[in-house]
Amino acid sequence: MEAEQNMNEDLVDFGFDQVPRDAKSGLVGEVFSDVAGRYDLMNDLMSFGVHRLWKAAFIDRLKPRAGMALLDVAGGTGDIVRAFCERISASQPAEKPKSDLGPTVRTASRAIVCDINFEMTVAGRDRAIDRPLNLKGAPTIEWVCGNAEALPVEDVTMDAVTIAFGLRNVTNRTLALAEAYRALKPGGHYLILEFSTVNEPLMARLYDRYSFSILPEIGALIARNRDAYRYLAESIRKFPRPNVLQTEMEAAGFGRVSYQLLSGGIAAIHSGWRI
Amino acid sequence: MNQAHSAIDPKLLEILVCPLTKGPLRYDQKNAELISDRAGLAYPIRDGIPIMLTEEARELRDNEKKKA
Repeated sequence: MEAEQNMNEDLVDFGFDQVPRDAKSGLVGEVFSDVAGRYDLMNDLMSFGVHRLWKAAFIDRLKPRAGMALLDVAGGTGDIVRAFCERISASQPAEKPKSDLGPTVRTASRAIVCDINFEMTVAGRDRAIDRPLNLKGAPTIEWVCGNAEALPVEDVTMDAVTIAFGLRNVTNRTLALAEAYRALKPGGHYLILEFSTVNEPLMARLYDRYSFSILPEIGALIARNRDAYRYLAESIRKFPRPNVLQTEMEAAGFGRVSYQLLSGGIAAIHSGWRI
Repeated sequence: MNQAHSAIDPKLLEILVCPLTKGPLRYDQKNAELISDRAGLAYPIRDGIPIMLTEEARELRDNEKKKA
């Protein structure tokens, strides 16, 4: 339970500000629509470029395999699904087809992106069209616009649900966790990648100074959007500590819940299973 | 490439449900909409991407509702 929600039912965090619950997704939408084309750059600046390594570690945890159905929530830029497709393709045996009847029949892999922001989804899809992966054995990426709190997919259909740098922007985390659980098959894996909490005092001080003093200025210069970057930094500080998120995941029904801190806690991977 | 822009991926249709009711959807290809009879809502498909958000959906008129 978030303390601020207990104090006032109708207000939720928007960065360090409190906004009416109904307004948050619209405000977050404005932030992301404004920076849609430059979102990777935003992540680069916020993570010193390290988000690429975090995502690689995240995909390692996901363990992509042929036949796996993945739903990547808030995955508008397509980074996660692309890496997923690359891993699946690389894991294909380099065998020659035994006949001309086509590949052996088995469950096809799927990679579905569901993002609440239409501009981000179009940008991700268009990038996938302009720069096709053309990977042997990899699924075609499917794109849909939807809310993490009300996923538009059938129950018990996914082998994995991922959300990378998205859960922080969700208004009602409890609903988002419940929806991920609903979409997963038994044995399915839920993985969260999110900015987390830096504990080491000196590092925390430097990181604070960077995010609140320097980063918004960079954002103003490069993306011409100081407020979007200020929101980014604030929303990271408002996100629950890893042990709190672990408790929330367990409350949503996930089993074998664990987390792994990355880069001293700047980010974390959270993992849980639908048992 | 044109296909990706105009038509919705049929494989995707198989697993899509109404986000509100989790009920089935009817694909209205002509109007590029996904219709949830249970919710009385039509979700738009723009640029080949279904927009499964209730706030973007259109309420069905009485004559559009499928008779049970």
